This record gives sequence, structure tokens and C-alpha cells, in this order.
Amino acid sequence: MRTDPFDVAIVGAGPAGQAAARATVAAGLTTALIDEQPRPGGQILRQPPVGFGVAGWMSGRAYRPLRQLLAATEDDTALHWLGGTSVAGIWADRAGGFRLHLAGARSGSLHARRVLIATGCYDMPVALPGWTLPGVISAGAAQTLLKSQQILAGQRLVLFGSHPLQLVLAQQFVAAGGDVAAVLFPQTRAQMLRAAWPHLAGALRTPGPLLAAAGALAALRRAGVPVIHGAAVTRLTADDSGAALGGVDYVAGGVEHHLACDVAAQCFGFVPQSDLPRQAGARVAWSAPAGGWATLCDARMQSSVPGLYVAGETTGVAGAEIAMIEGAIAGLAMADAAEDDLRRFRARHRRLAPFAALLRAVADPQPWWPAAGGDTLLCRCEDVSAATVDAAIADLAPFGPDASAIKQRCRIGMGLCQGRSCEHALVRRLAAAQGLAPGDVAPFRTRFPVRPLPIDALIEDAP
Amino acid sequence: MTRDPRRHDGVTRPAPLTIVCDGAPLSAYPGETVAAALLAASMRRLRDDRSDRPRGMFCNMGTCSECFVWLREGSAAQWHRRRACLTPVSADLELSTREDTCNAD
Repeated sequence: MRTDPFDVAIVGAGPAGQAAARATVAAGLTTALIDEQPRPGGQILRQPPVGFGVAGWMSGRAYRPLRQLLAATEDDTALHWLGGTSVAGIWADRAGGFRLHLAGARSGSLHARRVLIATGCYDMPVALPGWTLPGVISAGAAQTLLKSQQILAGQRLVLFGSHPLQLVLAQQFVAAGGDVAAVLFPQTRAQMLRAAWPHLAGALRTPGPLLAAAGALAALRRAGVPVIHGAAVTRLTADDSGAALGGVDYVAGGVEHHLACDVAAQCFGFVPQSDLPRQAGARVAWSAPAGGWATLCDARMQSSVPGLYVAGETTGVAGAEIAMIEGAIAGLAMADAAEDDLRRFRARHRRLAPFAALLRAVADPQPWWPAAGGDTLLCRCEDVSAATVDAAIADLAPFGPDASAIKQRCRIGMGLCQGRSCEHALVRRLAAAQGLAPGDVAPFRTRFPVRPLPIDALIEDAP
Repeated sequence: MTRDPRRHDGVTRPAPLTIVCDGAPLSAYPGETVAAALLAASMRRLRDDRSDRPRGMFCNMGTCSECFVWLREGSAAQWHRRRACLTPVSADLELSTREDTCNAD
């Protein structure tokens, strides 16, 4: 590539990565923007495929700043867009910059003087009986199928979890002509209000998201979709064939209920994508409250690895607007902007912080995890049950809180997802067994390649 | 009655093509992912786990690796294992959800 080494490589084309690219391109830096998806936007604005026409796509007011940013990204002829491309590893190179190993539409090495990791987050997978049945999906899966592929994930959807985002998804599903059987919150309304209360005054200074939630609630009421509070899902059950989801069991007010459905989507919060920063050697900390690992950074978004920056949900889950601001700060910082140029972004960040705090408090899944049974699989890739994991934790208790030791004993986290689905659950279980905080547990050691790639994508230019 | 999972109101798509999954032909639109095309055909099972229990797509964003399928382009080509949620459909695409019908790379 003629422009290699780039001044800047940005991994992740969501709100943070795009906002950073605006700043680095404006400063005249050669910039590569890389994403696994074929088009920029991130998961929040996951675009329909090229060739599809979708009237009024993502036309809601809340999405307007994100759409404007996306239009600017797509019109930017100076930006080097590398879509459909995974980044499998990042290393310091001899020139004082970095080497990225790419696979997919573009493969091989890319060099850059500075790198921003803005890979966002994913829905926290929550283990409970029946959760490996086809038809049990993450809320994000249902939402991206709708936004991008224009497909309803099933005939009849049940949403369950502690995160209010599921109200917005239910509204989108109904608006697209889908049938939502119910939205189930384990919290009561009073518990949600109590959690929100300390943050409410500050959050009302940026009322957009609260109005969006209220609008979603009203739309669901008009559509006759029950929003049930104090409803704890206990089990996902198979249909008559035994080969797919047939319904959801939940307990409300001490009474067991059953809802028939062919798709159930979990919505308990989000885990930062942390594999690339960890592989690159950046320091992380437990991401409260939902879990996973947030990458630590300074006020200019630089991680503990000099020249390696992080922004958006990679630094802790706080929503798309804050991601955009952090991306802009990171972009300006990579362009060596003066502190004065960052001031207005810092002010905006401070204004949005109370709502992010409110959402974290209201959505906090910790009191509400469904119970995994002994035979429930915690590790979906290697089929490792909760009972097997607990036995390994007990056996290895003398060796301290090391997730990798448990992995080596019972194979949890050793499969194709590399622990993205199970590590957070293992860390919490291990911490609880040893009377520690999750942040005291040593996480899995993350290694190249951080995405499951065929061997021929690696050997051409392996380290 | 089963409703078409694809939205049609206000949505235009390119002309469909035909792919084959486990020997059965099904219609898909260029730009759709393999995972979406199978879901639209009500095929939820994408693989079996070690206890022969069916598994399907979970995250739809390339993170969870639940949606690995075998695929090849043309009956003479080699089978590859790929994430269905990140792989677009194409003409001549053949899929298998059963390991014993193909030699994975």
C-alpha cells in the first residue's frame, strides 16, 4: 500500500472511530479506517447492504447526529476505508509505530504511527437453562437484523433483561410489523425509579434519551405490548421438535408463567470489546456494573501503551453520544491538538455523564442474573457446564484468582469465541468463590489472533 | 400462519439469487448475510454441539462464533468454515451445517 505506513489507523467505524477520523483527516494525517462490517456505521447505525433501498432508514431524532457523522464519513474521499476486514493483532514495530495484522477483504500487514482502538461493545451473554437453543439471541442480534438486513428475527419475540434499551428494540420490532409477546424486566418500576433518582436532575439536562424511552413506552402501550416488571426469566424451553426455542418461563409475584415465542432476546447490558487492547498489552480494569474489561486511558484517550489510543465503549460502556465525543478527543490528540481545542468536547462529555450514570444504575444487572443450572453451559464453544467450572474453581482454589488456570483445567474460554461469551461469567464466579471483587481476578491472557480466522489468513505474514 | 421474516414495506432489494443449504435450494438477496438468508428461510439450526444439540446464531456481530457453517463456491471448490453473520451470500454458494458432509479446511 503506497500510503503505508499510515499516520493513523482506526479500528472500528462506529461513532467513536468515525469522529476520530474526522479530526485526523482534517489535520492532514493519512488515516485508515478498518471495520469487520462492509459499511461504516458501527452496530448503532449498522447500514443496509449496498443495493438495498430502505425508506426512512433510522430516521428517529435520536439518531440524527450519528447519521450526519456517517454521511460525512461516506463522503470523505481522503479517508482510506477498509471494510469487511478483521484486525487479528497489533504489535509495536521497529519504527516506533505499530503493525496491524489484517484478514478478510484486506489481508496482511498494515503499519501506522498511531492506532486508535474503537471497537465498541457487545451484548452481555447471560447463561440460563435453555439458552443454547436456536432462537435465543442477543438483543443486539435482533436489532441489527432489523436495521441492516431488514429481517424480523422471528414470528413472536420475547425481550428479557434489566436494560431499558429493550424498550427501544421492542418499539422498532413492532414498527417493522413484528409481534412482541412481552418485554420482561426483573426490576419493579419502583426499583428502577429508586436507582434513577440520584442521577435524575443531572440527566434531565440532556433529556433526549429519557424522552426516547418514554416515547417507546407509549408506542408499546398503544400496540398492546405488555411491559412486565418484577418478571424474572428462569428457563428457555424447546418447541415440540426439541430443536428450537418454543417459549420462556418466568416468575412474577411468586407465580410461574409461560410465554410461547420462537425468538427470545437477552438485554442485560454490554461488555466492552477488549481483546485487541489486551493483546496489544494495554492495561484494563473491570467494567462496572455489567462486567467485562474497560481499557484504561488518560485524559487524551491514550492507553498505557504509548501511541495506542482508545475511545468509546472500549473505555467503558456509556453510549453512542459519549463515544462520538471520546472519538473526537482521541482524533485531536493523535493530531497533537492543543488542550484548548479539546475543551468544548470535554464540556459536552461532562454534560452527558449524568445520563450515562443514570442508565448504568437503572440497568445494573447484578441483582438480577438468572440462575444457571449445574448442567447449563457457561462456555458455549467448548460445551463446559457451570458444574464443571465450579468444580475447577474449587480444585484450583489454592492457586488464587487466575481465570487462565481455570481455562487450562476445564477448557472454559478455549473455543472459537476466545472467551468473549463466558469470561465475564467465569470472572464473577471465581471472584465470588474466593471472596474477592471481580477486578481482582487475573483475566484470560489474550493472544493473536483475536478473531477466529482460517490458517491461510495467518501464515502469509505471521509474526 | 407464518409471516415472511423479510420486511417489504418501504424496502427494495436487488434481484434474488439461489443458494443451496444441506442440499436444499433457497432464495436470498445479494447483500444478505448467510445467517440472515438462513433465518429468513426459517432455518435456525446452524450446527450441532458436542452432545448433538442444535445451535443457532446468537450475536449477529461476529463476536460469539456460534454461527460457524461450512461453505464453498461451486461444487468443485474446497469447503471453508466461516462466520455466517459476516459472510455475504453469492451465486453458486453452497452451505453445509453438518460437519460429516464436508471436509473443513
